[in-house]
Amino acid sequence: MAEVQQNSGGNGKKGAQKKMQIRVDFTPMVDMNMLLITFFMLCTTMIKSQTLTIALPSNEKVENQENMSQASADDAVTIIIDAKRKKGSNEVDSVNGQVVNEVYYYFGKPGGDAGMFGAGGTVLSENNNIQKSEFLTDEVNGGVHTPRGIRQIIQQRNHDVLVEINNIKKKYADGGFGSLETKADREKAQAAYDEAASEIRKNENLKKPVVIIKSTPQASFGSLVEILDEMQINSISKYQIDNMTRADSVMILDFQSRNQQ
Amino acid sequence: MGRVKIARKSTFIDMTAMSDVTVLLLTFFMLTSTFLQKEPATVVTPPSVSTEKVQETNFVQVLVSPEGKVWLTMNNDTSSAWSNEKMRMALLDKVSEIYNESHKNKISFNVAQKQAFSKLGSFGVPLQQMGEFLNLADEQEGQTKMDKWLGGEDENPNHVTGIPVSWNSDESTPNEFQMWMKALRQTENENLAQSIKDGTGVAIKADQNTPFDIIHMVMDNLQTIHMNKFTFLTALKAGE
Repeated sequence: MAEVQQNSGGNGKKGAQKKMQIRVDFTPMVDMNMLLITFFMLCTTMIKSQTLTIALPSNEKVENQENMSQASADDAVTIIIDAKRKKGSNEVDSVNGQVVNEVYYYFGKPGGDAGMFGAGGTVLSENNNIQKSEFLTDEVNGGVHTPRGIRQIIQQRNHDVLVEINNIKKKYADGGFGSLETKADREKAQAAYDEAASEIRKNENLKKPVVIIKSTPQASFGSLVEILDEMQINSISKYQIDNMTRADSVMILDFQSRNQQ
Repeated sequence: MGRVKIARKSTFIDMTAMSDVTVLLLTFFMLTSTFLQKEPATVVTPPSVSTEKVQETNFVQVLVSPEGKVWLTMNNDTSSAWSNEKMRMALLDKVSEIYNESHKNKISFNVAQKQAFSKLGSFGVPLQQMGEFLNLADEQEGQTKMDKWLGGEDENPNHVTGIPVSWNSDESTPNEFQMWMKALRQTENENLAQSIKDGTGVAIKADQNTPFDIIHMVMDNLQTIHMNKFTFLTALKAGE
């Protein structure tokens, strides 16, 4: 562990203290420290969780139906999230322990203006206006982002707003909201940008879609977060989470039976 | 021919510098670490582009397992008048008060049980079994037994884990989960009440593969007692 070496020099004077050289072996100490470091490294959580805030309407039944704001059929986009099923059963299929998310959408009313149901509740499958899409990230080709899947659909519907948002994004990058030199400046510019962006999202003169998010009971929580993300990415100002109606389920089943082959 | 003499060199390496470095690293990790809390169910939160950081204090985490079981974890402002211990004690008093209003089978807790409750991390057992659960704290290896109970690995089939929760849209007959959430709002901790109002006070943590109807049930439960704003815990999605 530690050793004391005595200088064996013969030139020492009588009476003078002998010089001692003390060396302590630190190897065991280093060993122990390394063990402790390993322990702390494995036990710590460096990454903090992120949060996604959502606000839902009150559960109380609205008595005065006239006061309810109705989305016009023109603006309405209904997105239904679902999970992929095993072939020929209602069980949820998964790949590597991960549920495969599916997403359907339709514009306006279910079944269009004619509706999904004929006289006596018969299903009019020729009116089915549901379509299937996917959750896909942008395709990046030489710095140009091309949206794909459901994002492309949403962006087409929200085109007017996104044009404006892109304009102020450019303005922000060019320093139009104040210089971006120091951190304080950047924060100030960011605040001004956020203000302008929320102004655009609220602007009544722009054509904006109203997105209604519905989900089958089997759809995963992950796909719900994913579709809420798409709302944020594509600057959708009006969206809500709603319950499935009978027409919705009929349309999905009809779509699936026609596209099984 | 004389043999070449190889000078004997000492193999002694000076470890002092190495030791200095390791101690520094150790100090860094000790100071920055926050320990992973043991939770009754392991969940993988879904990735999201949201960059809002989770609050450090004044929020209640609702852990939802893919099977639909629910546990609560409290994170209080330890520097203020409401420490974690004090808050939990007040919560237990409040929830038993609410429970006894509507049930004939009254529950009450003694001082030792309240003390045990104030030291819990995550909790979530039916209120009728809470007393029995808290009694474990005084037993030998009580912590292990409690963890086992919460994790659903208890040998006793009567020991149910998770706060009972079911579809319920009638505010006048709250289920136990709703009772807990109501009790949280009704303790006199204004900081918590304010953050619940802002929507940052309730954080739902669920696995990304949890079916929607389970999440929907929890959300509907909260909506019924007028907690319309809350947050989902997510992991940061890279590259967007």
